[in-house]
Amino acid sequence: MSKQTVSLSIGERKLKSGLTLLAVHNPGVQTYACVASIDVRMADEDLRRPGVANMVGECLDEGTSKHDSLGLSSAAENLGAMMDGNHRGGVVMCPATSQKKATALLREMVLEPSFPAREVRRVQSEVISEIQAEADDPRTVAARRFRAEIYGDHPLGRPSQGTVADVAAIKPKHLRDFHKAWFRPGNGYIAASGPFELEDMLDRLEKTWGGFRGASPSHLPLPELALQEAGCNVHLPMSREQVHVFLGHLGVRRNHPDFYRLSVMDHILGTGPGFTSRCSRKLRDEMGLCYSVSAGIAGSAGEEPGTFTAYIGTSAEHREKAVDGFLKEIRTIRETVPSDSELQDVKDYLTGSFVFALERNSNLAAYAIRARRFDLGFDFIERYPDLIESVTAEQIREVAHKHLHPDRLTIISAGAS
Amino acid sequence: MTDMDIEMLPEVDVVELDNGFRALLVERSSLPVVASVLWYQVGSRDEHTGETGVSHFLEHMMFKGTDKFGKGEIDLQTSKMGGSNNAFTDTDSTAYYFSMASDRWETALEIEASRMRGCLLDPVEFESEKKVVLEELAMGEDEPWRPLYQVCESMMFQTHSYHHPVIGYKEELERLGPDGMRAYYERNYGPNRACLTVVGAIDKKRTRARIKKLFGGIARAEDRKIPIREPKQLGERRATVRTPHSVTRLCMGFPTCRMGERDDYALDLIAHDLGNSKNSRLYRRLVVKDQTVTDVSVLNEVRQDPGGFFILCELHPGADYRKVEKAIWEEVDALTREGVAERDLKRIRTQIRSSFLFQGETALDMAMKLARFEAGTENGFSTLAEVLPTYDSMQRRELRDVATKYLQPDQATVVWGVPAAVAEVAGRKAPAKKRKTKKVAAKARPAKKAAKKAAKKSVTKKKPVAKKRAGKKSNPGRKKS
Repeated sequence: MSKQTVSLSIGERKLKSGLTLLAVHNPGVQTYACVASIDVRMADEDLRRPGVANMVGECLDEGTSKHDSLGLSSAAENLGAMMDGNHRGGVVMCPATSQKKATALLREMVLEPSFPAREVRRVQSEVISEIQAEADDPRTVAARRFRAEIYGDHPLGRPSQGTVADVAAIKPKHLRDFHKAWFRPGNGYIAASGPFELEDMLDRLEKTWGGFRGASPSHLPLPELALQEAGCNVHLPMSREQVHVFLGHLGVRRNHPDFYRLSVMDHILGTGPGFTSRCSRKLRDEMGLCYSVSAGIAGSAGEEPGTFTAYIGTSAEHREKAVDGFLKEIRTIRETVPSDSELQDVKDYLTGSFVFALERNSNLAAYAIRARRFDLGFDFIERYPDLIESVTAEQIREVAHKHLHPDRLTIISAGAS
Repeated sequence: MTDMDIEMLPEVDVVELDNGFRALLVERSSLPVVASVLWYQVGSRDEHTGETGVSHFLEHMMFKGTDKFGKGEIDLQTSKMGGSNNAFTDTDSTAYYFSMASDRWETALEIEASRMRGCLLDPVEFESEKKVVLEELAMGEDEPWRPLYQVCESMMFQTHSYHHPVIGYKEELERLGPDGMRAYYERNYGPNRACLTVVGAIDKKRTRARIKKLFGGIARAEDRKIPIREPKQLGERRATVRTPHSVTRLCMGFPTCRMGERDDYALDLIAHDLGNSKNSRLYRRLVVKDQTVTDVSVLNEVRQDPGGFFILCELHPGADYRKVEKAIWEEVDALTREGVAERDLKRIRTQIRSSFLFQGETALDMAMKLARFEAGTENGFSTLAEVLPTYDSMQRRELRDVATKYLQPDQATVVWGVPAAVAEVAGRKAPAKKRKTKKVAAKARPAKKAAKKAAKKSVTKKKPVAKKRAGKKSNPGRKKS
């Protein structure tokens, strides 16, 4: 199989404020995307105010120094733009012809939110309703408990939204304080992708975002995470047709040297398209236990360790069979090397498919940020096929043995009993 | 208003074969990728009583082996080539699609040609996959919106086969055998019932030749039967569904028109005005002013036979559902009285233009859009050239007339999903307060993805992902492509 080779044209400009501007040249398209990713973490929120970072993200588009909530929405819609805020900033996607105004609107939303009391109250009640609705969803209930068990007191162990009581206690002042303290340029990224020349895009970004200044605070130190000595096995009964089972333990960081080996391992074990992975083949295709099944460790790896997570939604009577099925596959991949053909099939998939992630401007902008944030280099996309091709069958067994721990699993299920 | 010069209709090469097969080819070489969509004119509307769900179940079986590709080979071959595939079934159609690198994409053609008439439907695989489909059905029953939507749909369509859910009834799926599925497959799968679209870095001449070679010798299937027309609704229909969830939800439906008819375009604009952004009537009223609803969404769900217009709301805990319903009708009344304001119309048109732009961002998006229009509209893919001018030609008065035509109280089907714990109370109070006003329905803005998904009633081969709080986007997206 011939190797797919794609190279991207990416420009970069680091401002004195510490903000990094990135531009991706995507010729021939009629669309544009700009992503603002400020160096804010959920973990930066005051422990007395859990949920405040999420609420800041939710309320960014509820009014600014220049527009009220509906006015901001109108301004975006009149440009044909989709704009959305989050706790790290936001994204705008629009026709390329609206590039200039849309970038300015994104800046206004991210840097000049007014957090008007009435809108904050409304969003607050929406988030509370959402938390209550999610408490009805056994998959969400199980997923949250799973993270809480694995991360313990670490901020990643608590729901990003906070609890109903947490959200109800948030005032506009808390949002303003958090925004003022943490929305600073240092270590932040603004990335754009569209059909424009790199220098032109960087000039535009600098003109729009160049006034974003201010010293950045230090992040609060995070507690060290450790793999739990022993897991647990908990079922949360709910009156539903299916039971949702999460099984796993603490995973790795994105910059772990085994990351690419683990990516390949995941696709052999339980990740990827179609039903080619072992878990899909066995648990879904052969045993008919489920519609939805997966297992993997690399996908959740970030600045903090992710999780190894195996998931299945199945009927209550199949719960134990499903858990046994996962255990069997985990043990097998730890103990035996995959066949050459199985390994090569996965490599062919990974080295052939990455190009599809480059079709959308929003993905390209996010890629440029990821390349910098994780120090992958802009040429990462060119090196990626070789990184994958270099993985050996024995290395798969080694990393599985090293990173998967069937005797220390946390197993959480919610739903039908 | 921005100047959006959108290429709605790319240069399309049409391939027509003697057996009725049509293919649309578009060359686009910005990236070395190719997307193909094989769109069959068969969906749950073609099913008879006793075989509901067979279209969707058959879609699963189409990945389970053909005369040329053994069990698991379709996924394996796709994966080995760095590609992806998937499929979906809805009321009117079943579509299979591939995205692959441009130097190896022709395998997708070979797979599609092979399974058009050569799907094995192995009895052992059939029984195994039936369990998967039943799990998928169970998963859907746990979702908050799907059961509600299905009740609404079954009440709106009492004669037409849109009455039953795409995934089918559990009892009928359990009884379905491989022979029944084979008969359905042979009746409905053939070149005259399919359209292929290919978009990407292709050599058109070579592609044309491959299509002729692979599909030219395949025998026709039966022509599609026309389902019984749904009689006109004579009065409001209403139901209360007791749910295990803690949130009260509303699904309100109105029968409408066919995809591609002029009223369809008007209903798109009306849906935007009523519910698909923060600036929509229902969002401003229900979410911002009354604060009775956390989420509101309006869908113009047109189909090949007259479809439906839906309003979906999630209520705040403790909100009075009668107040919500009253407010919805008041907003619809206002719409039918005032029409869509010129300022709003301009904004909505911009949003729609933009949404079409994004619907062509990837090769697969474009292939899907062409296939949908080719299969779903009288003039096929060339309808795309008329889409934006048609939206632009619609004026306030016409929109008012169309809203008045469809959004009438005696055309409404109102389904409340009420938490079981309070359903008894609601059930006693709900028996309808008859509305006096003659005019109809209101809605509001972007609802949860889950709601939209349930309402689209497509069933995918693979699992869904990503949830996000509703209403957080000024969302120009719409169903038309």
